Amino acid sequence: MPDIVVCVKQTVDVYQLKPHPETLEPVFSQAQSKISDFDLNALEEALRIREKGGGRVSVVSAGPSINQLLIRETLAMGADEAHIISHPLLSTYDGRVTATVLSKLVEKAGRWDLILCGEASLDNSDYQTGPRLAEIFGVPHLAYVTKLEISDGRLKAWKSMEDGLHVASCSMPAVVTVGLEINTPRLPSLLMIRAATKKPIHEYRLSDLGLTEEELNPSVTLRELKALKVERRRVKLEGKPEELAEKLADILVREALAR
Amino acid sequence: MSLVIHGENPETIIRIAGAARRFFPDSPAQAVCLAPPGDEELRRLGGAGVETVHVLPENLTSQGPAVVVAALAMAVAKLGASTILLSATKYGREIGPRLAQRLGGSYATECIHVESVGEGLLVKRLVLGGAYQASLQLNARPYVIGVQAVADSAGGGAGIPRLERLDVDVDAPKIELLEVVKPEASHVDLERAEFIVGVGRGFKRREDLSMAEELARILGAELGCSRPVSGDLKWMSEDRHIGLSGKRVRPKTYLALGISGQIQHLVGIRDSKLIIAVNTDPNAPIMAESDYAVVGDIYKIVPPLIERLREKLGRR
Ligand SMILES: Cc1cc2nc3c(=O)[nH]c(=O)nc-3n(C[C@H](O)[C@H](O)[C@H](O)COP(=O)(O)OP(=O)(O)OC[C@H]3O[C@@H](n4cnc5c(N)ncnc54)[C@H](O)[C@@H]3O)c2cc1C
Ligand SMILES: Nc1ncnc2c1ncn2[C@@H]1O[C@H](COP(=O)(O)O)[C@@H](O)[C@H]1O
Repeated sequence: MPDIVVCVKQTVDVYQLKPHPETLEPVFSQAQSKISDFDLNALEEALRIREKGGGRVSVVSAGPSINQLLIRETLAMGADEAHIISHPLLSTYDGRVTATVLSKLVEKAGRWDLILCGEASLDNSDYQTGPRLAEIFGVPHLAYVTKLEISDGRLKAWKSMEDGLHVASCSMPAVVTVGLEINTPRLPSLLMIRAATKKPIHEYRLSDLGLTEEELNPSVTLRELKALKVERRRVKLEGKPEELAEKLADILVREALAR
Repeated sequence: MSLVIHGENPETIIRIAGAARRFFPDSPAQAVCLAPPGDEELRRLGGAGVETVHVLPENLTSQGPAVVVAALAMAVAKLGASTILLSATKYGREIGPRLAQRLGGSYATECIHVESVGEGLLVKRLVLGGAYQASLQLNARPYVIGVQAVADSAGGGAGIPRLERLDVDVDAPKIELLEVVKPEASHVDLERAEFIVGVGRGFKRREDLSMAEELARILGAELGCSRPVSGDLKWMSEDRHIGLSGKRVRPKTYLALGISGQIQHLVGIRDSKLIIAVNTDPNAPIMAESDYAVVGDIYKIVPPLIERLREKLGRR
């Protein structure tokens, strides 16, 4: 019966985000926030483990302003409860502060055997929160996990590395980070959405976590943010497949293969 | 600035050392290796500006990142380094944050540029899915940096580095490595390929990849893929995966077949000279990021394309 904490980050929807045509800075006001992609995989994995062996699944989330509706979505998928904090000093760029605050939320969630995180977040892709939490709690970390098994209180993981699959095992408690390969996250049914309204969301202030603003002193600050743009010719080719093949063959011979 | 450089193997360390020389031409660099480098590797480490190579006890990696991190932390304390440069590979991304946390330092990975500024370190890296570049100032020492090191290393160093054994005794949470399953496919150097045919989920079945293979053969191209093709479907080996979490490539031509072109894939192909996409959906993001956007079905276009190319090139 492993008790599991899933770290769920809310980020700007980078797929919607557009740069300002002149300043090239992202126009955050025109993009919504969403749950970081891989965190849904992390949550799904936690739910599957609970379905097999029982236990509790808690969600923790920290950020400048956590949207409760998105937290409800994780409860609708099946998480039992959520522990969250919103504070303006929680910047997405500061991995040290984020991990510190998350570790306190994890403690609020109570006893745990496993922390599941996305391997990297949608906005920053820092790959750092999982390993930092593992170091804070002094537990092993299994990264890039594409398949996970639990037996006799031990984890067995298939880690996708550049040189192949590493099969590794460790005891619990532990931190595991996952990407999109491990599973396909479920879509909550209407019934589950309704049930979720009764599940608890615990919201904390900094002082509830025993932290002060000084402790949130940034170890990383943002100085500049600009879109990278490469202009392409954007020639659109439409027509019958045979004609398109002919045109494409011409282009390849003329532009791609010519020395 | 005193630099410590670490990576999973001497080849990676040589690359990072080359980058380090560009960022900090006047700073002495020491390398920490997991195993003793060979004579030739030692010479090249010297060429990349490394003065001393410290060798950790063997078999640390198989015990997992926490053990390597504990050993590195002792090495850093012993050597008194303010900046630790690591590779922005999967290995480096497991080690780096944990090391930064242990040392109470700041961390950034995937850095393409690093420089000292006043009281801190300024790094440039891609964020927001890879579509934006951020300049970040790191304020907490030591600085742990994952470097996006390209193949060409700035030489200029001379001499053979001193080789020293680092005897560290660590106690950290272990993992047990049970098995490494290597892919059948041989190693590819996608970063150097001049022509790449990229394969995405537009392919319905694994067998259908033969059509992309045949096309690549005629064009003298390498095959690459989107993350789901190597990760989810396991139709190709991990070293062919292009994008934010895979390889950054810079071919003269990139031909994307059945790839939607989400930003995380686009980051990986941005430096291509010419991008051509074939996709049934005229509104797929890749279409606006292509020089030629062919609206159509790969199953109907690729076979006749192979025929046309055979005729035009006289190749079989
Ligand atoms: C943190 C993070 C990191 C990521 N890193 C990477 C990365 O490094 N690399 C990467 O690739 N992805 C990465 N992704 C995933 C990325 O967001 C996309 O999910 C992925 O790139 C989609 O792959 P695809 O284009 O093959 O599949 P899909 O998005 O499913 O697209 C398939 C495309 O094929 C087209 N199609 C279908 N049938 C046909 C046909 N018969 N003929 C022609 N076209 C057809 C469709 O119109 C569609 O556009 C990452 C995601 C996250 C959150
Ligand atoms: N502010 C946050 N709140 C909750 N979880 C987070 C937060 N930041 C990061 N995480 C978790 O850590 C993973 C990796 O994020 P990152 O280190 O930013 O790449 C995410 O996928 C989440 O699981």
